[in-house]
Amino acid sequence: MTGELDLPRYDEFVEALEIIDDEDMRFEYIIDIGKKAGDGSFADEWMSDGNLMHGCMSKVWIVDRMKDGRHYFQGFSDAIIVKGLVTMMVQSFSGLTADELNTLSEEHVRKLNLGALTTQRQVGMMAMLEHMKKLGRAGGNLPADAA
Amino acid sequence: MSGVKPIDNPAGLSGVGDNSTSAFNIEQVRRDFPILERQVHGKPLVYLDSGASAQKPRMVIDAVREAYETYYSNVHRGAHYLSQRSTDAYEEARVIVQRFINAPSDKNIVFTHNVTEAINLVAATWGRKFLEEGDEVIVTEMEHHANIVPWHMLRVEKGIKLKVVPITDNGDFRIEDFEAALGPKTKLVAITECSNVLGTRVPIKRVCELAHARGVPVLVDGAQGIVHQPVDVQDLDCDFYAFTGHKLYGPSGIGVLYGKAEMLDSMPPYQGGGDMIERVSFDDITYAEPPHRFEAGTPPIVQAIGLGAAIRYVEQLGMDNIHAHEQGLLAYANERLGAIEGFRFIGQAADKAAIVSFLVEGLHPFDVAAVLDRQGVAVRVGQHCAEPLMDRLGVDGTVRASFGLYNRREDVDALAAAIEKAKEMLG
Repeated sequence: MTGELDLPRYDEFVEALEIIDDEDMRFEYIIDIGKKAGDGSFADEWMSDGNLMHGCMSKVWIVDRMKDGRHYFQGFSDAIIVKGLVTMMVQSFSGLTADELNTLSEEHVRKLNLGALTTQRQVGMMAMLEHMKKLGRAGGNLPADAA
Repeated sequence: MSGVKPIDNPAGLSGVGDNSTSAFNIEQVRRDFPILERQVHGKPLVYLDSGASAQKPRMVIDAVREAYETYYSNVHRGAHYLSQRSTDAYEEARVIVQRFINAPSDKNIVFTHNVTEAINLVAATWGRKFLEEGDEVIVTEMEHHANIVPWHMLRVEKGIKLKVVPITDNGDFRIEDFEAALGPKTKLVAITECSNVLGTRVPIKRVCELAHARGVPVLVDGAQGIVHQPVDVQDLDCDFYAFTGHKLYGPSGIGVLYGKAEMLDSMPPYQGGGDMIERVSFDDITYAEPPHRFEAGTPPIVQAIGLGAAIRYVEQLGMDNIHAHEQGLLAYANERLGAIEGFRFIGQAADKAAIVSFLVEGLHPFDVAAVLDRQGVAVRVGQHCAEPLMDRLGVDGTVRASFGLYNRREDVDALAAAIEKAKEMLG
């Protein structure tokens, strides 16, 4: 359930992953997203311990900048597959308010239908979602953009 | 009556008795492990994660099923037939373990849940009683967290010190470095027999000689050691030896702590409860003798019985044969994997078990392992519960292929092909 929220990028991912009916292909799709995620767009200084998500097998950084009360996330990982996953997550759920973020649930992750992933990585994505909600509640971890 | 199913003629073993000098028939052995027939992600399973936990032969599965189906009950409470049967089978497993490691008596064999509990038991009883502030416990750079954290806890509690024996960049353990670490404050050596990451083997017998010459007892973490070659605790002369059932083709939830009689006798109980007492009143309690003193509460009964079956299985194959087979695989893996461009071995000690940690140039180990998984190749990735070793080696983690008795050259080929696939997909 996506509820009342307008999540165009998320809907695109859901649709793309629905169309790909082969697990190996879904797997390659995520690798592709990871490869295409421009390394340059995630600033070096954002790769700090403070922005690191703890408890992951690979390193995951997520930053959140608020603008007009809405949260805009960017994510990065040193592993391509995880970079693909975090890219999907930050693109899917950027542009929401903290309250809207809080309405997101594990069901949103499940609906991505990432059967090609192990349970462990699904859990990792749910942890990313929880982390993003937390950042949202804290008002982001980058200086807010003045409107 | 034994709860362990006797071996009539298990499929994988028929060739062994005929020619005990040759390695076993690997295809027959593989048929003893039902799980090896399955596919993963549509590909035949290539199981290279025995270092984390080994698969189980039918003999173990049957012994566990038979116990639950025909004679299961609680142990040491035996007013009735089933309890007596279960007690006999449980205690027989202890004797099987005793013989397997050549302990002087079954009273030297304490059942625990795993190696972690075995080491914690020693730290919490012997360690708490005999170690004082400033005393040193010697470990190596390649210990598993299970052989670091319990001693760290004593460091916090009692002010003991950890002294760490370095390894070489190649992953070799040098006995002279160990000897140099021994000092007047050394009160215990707690050391792995075989690194779970590097496969490096430690010359435990020599370690014990050097430590004992200074009156220092030795605890051996045998989790990875005992699965690859024979262990004789009297020959090693170690004071404690810990190993776990699930890496030795037995059930999870059962571990073993061997202790010399004088060590176990000197130790207070670990946990309090039923089964570990002689007499209880509200005024006074008399504890049982070892090993039961250390086995409070209902023990892992069927797991112990399953471990007994697993030991019988590997004994029938012959630990020397298993060792020879795995060393042949390791040599082949070194040759085959070493030929892959960008492949980097992490740890190439002169004396090592069939464990291959590696990295692939330019690729994150996590990504490599994920692609391997898609190819049906099961490996472990990460820090392998050995974070200090990762720091020492200057890596964030590795991919680890760990071989078991059922692996064959085709598994190495499949691993090599999957690594090439990873390079293609991720590069």
